[in-house]
Amino acid sequence: MVDQNSNYALQTSEVYVHYGKKMAINNVALNFPKNEVTSLIGPSGCGKSTFLRCLNRMNDVIDICNVKGKFLLNGNVDIYSPDIQVETLREKVGMVFQKPNPFPKTIYENVAYGPKIHGIASSQNELDEIVKDSLHRAGLYEEVKDRMEDIATGLSGGQQQRLCIARAIAIRPEIILMDEPCSALDPIATAKIEDLINELKENYTIIIVTHSMSQASRVSSKTAFFHLGNLVEYGETGKIFTKPDKEQTNDYITGRFG
Amino acid sequence: METAHTDKNFEQKLNHLTDNLIKMSNIVEKQIEIAVNVIKSKDSSDAQTTQNLDEQVDEVERDVRDLSFEIMTLHRPVASDLRLVFTALKVSKELERMGDHSRNLAKRAISISSSFDEDLTDQMHNLGKGVQKMVNQTLESFFKKDEVQARISWNQDAEIDRQYKSLLSDLIERMHNKQTSVVDEGTKPILIAKSLERIGDHATNIAEEVIFNITGHYIDLKKSDFE
Ligand SMILES: Nc1ncnc2c1ncn2[C@@H]1O[C@H](COP(=O)(O)OP(=O)(O)OP(=O)(O)O)[C@@H](O)[C@H]1O
Ligand SMILES: [Mg+2]
Repeated sequence: MVDQNSNYALQTSEVYVHYGKKMAINNVALNFPKNEVTSLIGPSGCGKSTFLRCLNRMNDVIDICNVKGKFLLNGNVDIYSPDIQVETLREKVGMVFQKPNPFPKTIYENVAYGPKIHGIASSQNELDEIVKDSLHRAGLYEEVKDRMEDIATGLSGGQQQRLCIARAIAIRPEIILMDEPCSALDPIATAKIEDLINELKENYTIIIVTHSMSQASRVSSKTAFFHLGNLVEYGETGKIFTKPDKEQTNDYITGRFG
Repeated sequence: METAHTDKNFEQKLNHLTDNLIKMSNIVEKQIEIAVNVIKSKDSSDAQTTQNLDEQVDEVERDVRDLSFEIMTLHRPVASDLRLVFTALKVSKELERMGDHSRNLAKRAISISSSFDEDLTDQMHNLGKGVQKMVNQTLESFFKKDEVQARISWNQDAEIDRQYKSLLSDLIERMHNKQTSVVDEGTKPILIAKSLERIGDHATNIAEEVIFNITGHYIDLKKSDFE
């Protein structure tokens, strides 16, 4: 099923999203190269979250939301095809939200939950290993190894966010979507998450929505600038932040509005 | 220019940076003009003026450096703003070097005897005029963000180099022929010509910065450096 030759983890084209009559995404085409970090930037309300949510069908639950377009995973899997189960899709395309949202359960349970329901671990030992490995990769293991049975909501905000990342990677997705994952975090917690993103890209394709221009420039190799539901410019992050092609992009990233 | 910045404080600092560069350019243009005239006039008070102007240039260069540093630290400029700061730092350094060369050449020019070969003096003066014109055009291209003009200026350097080399071979030939008025001045005329040629090189560097500032790319051609 997986086209190993595709250089893109995800390809989208002719994407239109409406909330009722209101257009939120207007004919967007965007591809996400494998094992790279792509950031989506743009002013509030331009449709970044809407677009991101299309990528693992999070918009399905919003009644008035109508999504049209082509979405191909690994070059050949149409993620909106009736044959595709949303649960299976989300195994491949994980998500980390703006506000850390651990379950009101133990730290261990938070990470173990996904592999359990997706049947990823075949034994308790293997499950323990997955939990440990995921926490390790999320850069949290050392801080929580002696309190795995504590309730996760007792962790600090930054720790909770890293826990959510551990939870996302525990199910071994191919793509991780992040919607402003650091907006509630202090600079140190932010730096840890950014460092983590850098490491994660070895194994995952990451798509991150951020309002921080410096974050976009630090973590991503590709940047897409959205404005009023349109994709205005897409390119190498270095290029976008030194010499964007469009005046509109330059105005936005340099802080010139209106 | 572009739309105004939302952050007025940042906007003001960027404007101030540009103002400083304009100020610095004006002083250096003046300095070069005076120095080139001193080649003929040998006016020592004019030579002193280039020295005084040089102190002003150094001062503005320090201002540009400090302001650029402040902007980078406090405002984290990107895209066109980043290119402006980057360009400002490099252009101000080039201007400062041009200022030094004009001061030095003016000082040497007044120490040359009035019986020095007239034809060679004319050649030096012409070279100076050519360099002066090139500098003025390059700086104009910078402030007008005129890429075409910057490329034209950049190309003028080849002509400056040609004139410089021909002046040098004339000088050397006259030394071979033991023309006393030339031999007596030793390396002074050579150093003056060299200073002028170097000013041309610095103008070329500025033209490259102008092109980068506008396009985001450095010009790929590389000319041989004579130093
Ligand atoms: N559930 C919804 N129902 C109706 N309209 C919505 C809904 N969610 C988003 N919208 C509208 O769609 C547009 C895009 O919203 P979206 O949340 O994607 O923007 P965004 O770029 O993520 O903004 P922000 O940076 O503020 O998070 C906005 O006009 C918004 O009001
Ligand atoms: Mg959003």
